[in-house]
Amino acid sequence: MGLLTNEIKDALKVVGKGGSVVHLATSSIDGKPNIVAERFVTSYLDDYILIADMFAQKTKVNLNENPQASISIAHPIGSHAWVFRGPATVINIGAVSTEKWYDINVGQVLAEWGDWAAKEPPLEVPPDIAPPKVAQRGLIVLKVEEIISSELENSGNKIA
Amino acid sequence: MKLTPRIKSWIESFGVHVALSDEKGQITIIVAERTSVDEDVVTIDLSEQQRNQIEEILLKNDYVALAPGQLGAIRAPYQLKGSARLLNGYLEVEISEIYCTKPGPEAGIRLDVLGYDDMKHYDESRWTDLAPVNPS
Repeated sequence: MGLLTNEIKDALKVVGKGGSVVHLATSSIDGKPNIVAERFVTSYLDDYILIADMFAQKTKVNLNENPQASISIAHPIGSHAWVFRGPATVINIGAVSTEKWYDINVGQVLAEWGDWAAKEPPLEVPPDIAPPKVAQRGLIVLKVEEIISSELENSGNKIA
Repeated sequence: MKLTPRIKSWIESFGVHVALSDEKGQITIIVAERTSVDEDVVTIDLSEQQRNQIEEILLKNDYVALAPGQLGAIRAPYQLKGSARLLNGYLEVEISEIYCTKPGPEAGIRLDVLGYDDMKHYDESRWTDLAPVNPS
């Protein structure tokens, strides 16, 4: 049994069919944090969150030297006030398909989510927000090992 | 660097997500709903629980990163970084770095180095927020 419940999986799919909006936070090894909103997001298996790597720069530099991350729900309605924390990595489009990262088979995950725009076109995105071209370079993957509340009065409390 | 009227408005309307990093590089995010901006200082109203959550982290590392919350995550894709301190129950962040995080070729551009006027022009030229329609 994984940490991601059906309620969480559904919440990560709020916007159209292309996923919710989340904030992905990483940190350099010397403690300089970085936080960026991400639009292409989904749960994967029962313990992973995938984000399309479109234009990530500092995020990838940080993950190379400090492979951990946190993800918050950008618009935490009601009880959907979660922060997901755990080890994270980048799986590039050209990665060797037989490689594994924890339970993830690189070939399988890229076959399923390596062309996000074709699988789930972001049709609801207004023109002034949409990137000129959806150029996916890979996947950012978080293995959820901890779920923490971001509610004002329960902030930091461990949920799972 | 003083924030533009547009960035200020989005942050004050929708709050911020604050990222902190401890000495082991482990990341904490808190979600703040009540935020105000004065020039280059963002003041964040924290709950007691949030203050307790970040107090020790800030003693060791006061550098934080902010991103606008809710709809601001999409309509105001900026990242603000700076030194933070707890003061009278509030988190005050003096902003020293501002980055564009809009997906596309401009993602990651550092804006504060442009100077205030050029940063304001950049902000206003790339977004088409709707102005209120006055009844005729």
